Amino acid sequence: MMFHTAPFIVGFLPICVTGFFALGRCCGAEWALRWLVTCSLAFYAWWNPEHLVLLAGSVALNYTIAWKLRHTGAPRAWLTVGIALNLALLGWFKYADFLRHIVAPNAPALHVTLPLAISFFTLQQIMFLVDMAAPMRDGRTTAPGTTGPETLPSLLSYAAFVTFFPHLIAGPIVRPAEVLPQLGAAGLARPCIENIADGLLIFLLGLGKKLVLADTFGGFADTGFNAAANGASLTFFEAWYASLSYALQIYFDFSGYSDMAIGLARMLNVRFPLNFDSPYQASNIAEFWRRWHITLGGFLRDYLYIPLGGSRTGALRRTGNLMTTMLLCGLWHGAAWNFVVWGGLHGLFLAVHAQYRRLFRPLPAGLGQALTLLAVILAWVPFRAGSVHNTLTVLRGMAGLSGITLPRMIVSALPPLAAIADPVSVMPFLGDARTLSFPEISACLLLGWLIVLALPNVHRMTDRARHWSLTGSFALSVQALLFAPHVAPFLYFQF
Amino acid sequence: MGRILLACAASLALYIGAFTWLLDRPLTLGALGARIEASLARGEAIQQPKLVILAGSNGPYSHRCEIIEPIIDRPCINAGVAVGVGLDYLFTRWKKLLNPGDIVYLPLEEAQYARPRATGDLGPDASIMLRHDRATLWALPLRRQIAALFAADLPAVIMSLIETALTDDGFHDPRAAANGGYNAWGDHVGHTAMLAALNQSTLAAITPVHPTAAQIRTGYGTVLITDFLHWADLNGVRAIGGLPTGFADSPIADDSLAAIRSIYRDQGAGFLDLPNHSRYPRTAFFDTGDHLNEAAQISHSVTVAAALSRLTEQKHARSR
Repeated sequence: MMFHTAPFIVGFLPICVTGFFALGRCCGAEWALRWLVTCSLAFYAWWNPEHLVLLAGSVALNYTIAWKLRHTGAPRAWLTVGIALNLALLGWFKYADFLRHIVAPNAPALHVTLPLAISFFTLQQIMFLVDMAAPMRDGRTTAPGTTGPETLPSLLSYAAFVTFFPHLIAGPIVRPAEVLPQLGAAGLARPCIENIADGLLIFLLGLGKKLVLADTFGGFADTGFNAAANGASLTFFEAWYASLSYALQIYFDFSGYSDMAIGLARMLNVRFPLNFDSPYQASNIAEFWRRWHITLGGFLRDYLYIPLGGSRTGALRRTGNLMTTMLLCGLWHGAAWNFVVWGGLHGLFLAVHAQYRRLFRPLPAGLGQALTLLAVILAWVPFRAGSVHNTLTVLRGMAGLSGITLPRMIVSALPPLAAIADPVSVMPFLGDARTLSFPEISACLLLGWLIVLALPNVHRMTDRARHWSLTGSFALSVQALLFAPHVAPFLYFQF
Repeated sequence: MGRILLACAASLALYIGAFTWLLDRPLTLGALGARIEASLARGEAIQQPKLVILAGSNGPYSHRCEIIEPIIDRPCINAGVAVGVGLDYLFTRWKKLLNPGDIVYLPLEEAQYARPRATGDLGPDASIMLRHDRATLWALPLRRQIAALFAADLPAVIMSLIETALTDDGFHDPRAAANGGYNAWGDHVGHTAMLAALNQSTLAAITPVHPTAAQIRTGYGTVLITDFLHWADLNGVRAIGGLPTGFADSPIADDSLAAIRSIYRDQGAGFLDLPNHSRYPRTAFFDTGDHLNEAAQISHSVTVAAALSRLTEQKHARSR
């Protein structure tokens, strides 16, 4: 069951929210929380009931380790055991085949099925263990950058925190200290019209981002990247339009998902942190990472980069820390070399930026933004293309090495274009390869990039702007939800 | 909460209102609508037994009624439009103009059999009906009427605005100059081998997609075609199935061919299968795997006309 499907919106969500508040009113907050855990487990089991055992086992194991960590005299040892077990679980399900292929390229694949959301609930629980160990470990009451939980929560609260359906599948990766206190608050199960309305509005705007924008650009991107995967060469505009479309697809898809998650949590009186803050408006790559998938960036910074030494070490070590962090960030996205390359490129960009910032004055904001955007778009190519061959095909196209073509009707209307482009009847890897595909995709891309570059995001909009945005998008969301023949899953589900 | 409901209601009202009364796609859908109306007008004007070719765009590009008409000795109308246009829409429009003794030749594209209902409901005909042909829309099932209200996605919204503005501004559509046009029979003309030579790199890069036999058998298009064949049989209209033109290096699989053939034969309709299964080398095509260039179109039409003549004469002889 996905957030952007009719069974979720007209079935699961109303039942879950109504039951939560009804139980809260008649039986108290604890029963409401039990209902929430039950709904969340049912939500998870919808995909594959077998993996429910894994999720429940992981929650129980981590809670036990947290208890041991707090109630025995060896917190460091229990923390190590906890982290090792979580990473082993993630390693087996996500990386076994990848590592096996590196060690023994000819060995048959294990074909381990990747349980949904394992990357997210594993990080979530590692964070919890580290935060629980922090006051025991070094006398601090908080984990780095957080206000960590001072006491062990109840198993019910912990289970609700990990399995809470708005963030279970694809984040945001919320800090225990941000959410656990909210789940234990006295007013949690009391309906608040303002929260329900705010949450519903944010959810509907996220739904529009996903169904109307992400899926539209996803279709355009798929045409180009699938053609490259099938051995075709892409001409200049086909390659650029596929790459620009993918950059928009992944932004609208994931930020749309995050908005929906934030909205759902808000309806249930829980506030999630912001996960996307107009990242394509960033004027440098470091700022991009402070705006893109903010909760993952925060996790990597506080639980990996800083423990490695962060930027308090020498330039060489700092570069190494950055590269390690970003390579692992890439690997977290998927057990494949294309993700490692993507992470490595971002590590390189960050390292270059850090050196540049040390030696020179910052670039003018506009130039910095353009360079950042170009670097980010280029790095999305291996991320999406999947293999070195496909990546090179797309990059060759973007460089114009596979020719520049334009529809003959465009060249007829604007004859000077004949100087740079060969006229063709249709461009086979552009949209539906119709005569008017080129102006259609051009106009859609223009709109998409206008939205991400010039407009405030949902969380920075005024209330009035949000309502106008809903007026502009709701009917198209209904169209896509109820009438589109194909519903594309969220991209981040695969991670 | 009230403001959210108001925004949602306003959004729906604006969307439906705009696409029912205001926005249009005169370049994309306008061209298709004009094609449909022109062939219907020709069909209405002809009072004697006629041949109607119904298909996607391989109809007008790969078949030439102008050539076929004198060979089979009856008026011919090339009423193929585009692969995405709903068959239920075309059949509904044409049923009114088909009389006993008429022949309908259906060299439908494979995708037209395999198309799922949800995709068919949102084809270009949905918007054409909503904006210009509500009488036909009301004659279709309620499901189709509701889908027509929601046929426009984001690219359609954007292109509606652009195309409406361009047309209001007197934009001259350059497609006819670049690709040719249509004659009085509804055939596409002017897509010469010389123009086709400019598209050889495009043609070389095309990888045709063939639906499987199972997709053809279970597709919603097949349901619509079967219903039409049944109607034709009841009303004395002779329906003859056929194969669309395509690349010789990408043949239709044998089981898919059998599936297509059995759709017609199971309903007692004829089926015309040329020795080459209507497959030609890529050099015989114009811009896509469905569109022969003009020279190949003429040659294919002569072959089809001769085969149609034989098929109809056999039937005639049997009935005597």
